[in-house]
Amino acid sequence: MSHSVLVCDDAIFMRTMISDILAQAGFEIVGEAETGVQAVDKYKQLKPDLVTMDIVMPDMGGIDAVREITKFDPDAKILMCSAMGQQALVVEAIQAGAKDFVVKPFQPSRVLEAVQRVLG
Amino acid sequence: MDLSQYAELFLAESREHLSACNQLLLEWERHPAAPEPVGGIFRAVHTVKGMAATMGYARVADLAHRMENLLDHLRRGAAGRRAGDDVLQLLFRATDALEKAIQLSAAGREREADVAGIIAELDRAVQRFAPDTTPRHAAAAPAVPAPTAEPPPAAGPGRRVRVTLRPEAPLKGPRALIVLKRAQGLGVVSQVQPSPAAIEADEFEGTFSFWLVGPTPADRVLASLKASGDVEAVEVEDEAAAAVRPELGAPAGAGGAGSGATPLESGKARHIRVDLRRLDTLMDQIGELVTVRGRLNDLAAERRDPAIDDLALQISRLSSDLQAEIIQARMTPVWQVFDRFPRLVRDLARELGKPVAFRVEGKEIELDRAILDELGDPLVHMLRNAVDHGIEPAAERRRAGKKPEGEIVLAALRERASVAISIADDGRGIDRARILAKAKADGLFDAHVDTLSDDQLLRVLARPGFTTAAAVTSISGRGVGIDVAMTRIRALGGTIDIRTEVGKGTTFVLRLPVTLAIVRALIAAVGRERYALPLTYVAETVEFGMVPMTTVEGREAMVLRDRVVPLVHLRQLLGVNGDQPPARRPVIVLEMGERRVGVIVDGMLGQQEIVVKSFDAPRGTLPVFSGATIMGDGVPALILDAGGLL
Repeated sequence: MSHSVLVCDDAIFMRTMISDILAQAGFEIVGEAETGVQAVDKYKQLKPDLVTMDIVMPDMGGIDAVREITKFDPDAKILMCSAMGQQALVVEAIQAGAKDFVVKPFQPSRVLEAVQRVLG
Repeated sequence: MDLSQYAELFLAESREHLSACNQLLLEWERHPAAPEPVGGIFRAVHTVKGMAATMGYARVADLAHRMENLLDHLRRGAAGRRAGDDVLQLLFRATDALEKAIQLSAAGREREADVAGIIAELDRAVQRFAPDTTPRHAAAAPAVPAPTAEPPPAAGPGRRVRVTLRPEAPLKGPRALIVLKRAQGLGVVSQVQPSPAAIEADEFEGTFSFWLVGPTPADRVLASLKASGDVEAVEVEDEAAAAVRPELGAPAGAGGAGSGATPLESGKARHIRVDLRRLDTLMDQIGELVTVRGRLNDLAAERRDPAIDDLALQISRLSSDLQAEIIQARMTPVWQVFDRFPRLVRDLARELGKPVAFRVEGKEIELDRAILDELGDPLVHMLRNAVDHGIEPAAERRRAGKKPEGEIVLAALRERASVAISIADDGRGIDRARILAKAKADGLFDAHVDTLSDDQLLRVLARPGFTTAAAVTSISGRGVGIDVAMTRIRALGGTIDIRTEVGKGTTFVLRLPVTLAIVRALIAAVGRERYALPLTYVAETVEFGMVPMTTVEGREAMVLRDRVVPLVHLRQLLGVNGDQPPARRPVIVLEMGERRVGVIVDGMLGQQEIVVKSFDAPRGTLPVFSGATIMGDGVPALILDAGGLL
């Protein structure tokens, strides 16, 4: 059975790319969120196997969304999508409960490796 | 991975973010103490950075990164410290530079994007804001809890674990943190070296070690930690001197890239972006369908066959629905064009040293994308005119008892079948007397004309080359913009009206059809030809000779409910001769804003939807046609331009 994924990013561009990478590897994209608030709502509603989470989003950033989601489901598997220069934020996200991270620009192989580690 | 498929998406989305940047910068400029704009700008720039890096546009990403640095200082470190005007101006320029770099990069000319200068400026500004280069995360809580903070999961042998990350691993600090968290799941972690704070801050060389106490066998520790990602080597030194194996390289993540996993379901995106040309093609095809449908309707009417009638009706309904859908898909809110105007007005007002408040209303009103795209330039002309010539300098306004800050309002309003866009300034207005004097001198009016109506004024102003330096100094140049704008708007089947009052201001109103491609029209017969009149402008029809007649300015007119409506004999206008006109003739009253005209035709053949084809009028053609269409029987008919007849 394919794993279900919720893709959270405020840029359609990034959502499209991440969705494409994961869908091509056999994952099922069950939802997309553009804001942290949406991410939390959709997580509760869809209970996906995996969440990819952008750090900087309007209306509750990714880190707060991680906190909210792990409060709801301590086993939530969240993969942070970060940019270079965000180490402090990534640290914060990991402390908040994120399981792993990938750094933009994304290489499909690295994204899939990280996803496997998180789901592992 | 082929990135080119994402290039258009990148460009489109970047534009949205740049537009947001400009909006927020303007807001910030107006309310320097408001906390929201800087956060929003930061997010927008950050998103652009991520996208550009993914596309491999290093210069764009670099510039965005430097902007982000400055914005980050502004939004946190320098909290309470307001961004000075110089910083805002720098951000405005940086946004422009970013836009340019994005365009060049998307066009495959990234090398031409010169970002070095602006980057240096941004870096200098950062230095100014943060002379102390203290890392901002110094205060972060330690990632690894003190050994006493958690009870050991189990007692067991203690061992020193040394982890080396891959040299090319990005964000080594967070990666080390993930390794440490994994280790915490295996036992109790203590004596982390270098210190957790240094690790988090990325201030280490990629190798760290810790003391791990727990029951997990060494080989499992090794395997688990090596699977943390970006781990080059793990060494475990325990009493039993267990497996200190040479590096075999981290196992490739099971099912990793190209591991033969089959794509099952593709992503379920709810929005897609479509090239406008695709919609145009679709529209053309639907247009042909509509034409064929017309022919079928004619056939059904001829044959009086209920079966054909029924089919014709069904096809009618289906094609109408299809049309409505495709038109809806082409509809675009006006903000997509309007959003760049606040910045434009601001820059111009600044340049001219005039304080101007600019407001936009009705941003959500929708227009056909093709119309909206054509609207940008005329609106730019008119807004420039409003700032340059409409609004007086502050001193002059004060003398006139007005508030020193001028006001310009750009508003979109949905009317019956059209959209009205108005550009209103509260400036000095246009001096009719001076325009009239000039027009008389040019021989445009008889000496006895003593005042200009709004319509006449517009016609004078819109004459190509009317404005000369010697003419109306107070509004110099105004004619040029109107001429250009008027031509464009007319080509779109729209109209322009003007209202102006000396000392109070000037308002231009553009009226545009909501969509270009298909319009409902009244089909009129004149002689042996048929002509289409878009219903948008048809107010009513009356019978010629049944209403009182009069004359205005020597022209034939009729009196319709106390209003004088000038008349146009289409037969005369089009030079139809030969057979006599029928005794009873309809008058089609066209209305455009305040103006009306009655068009006398030979007969009316009904209403129908027509597909508008652009029309290259041969030289010398009367300027009363806006396009052509193919009728149901395959014979072309010309579309009359209401604006031209008025």
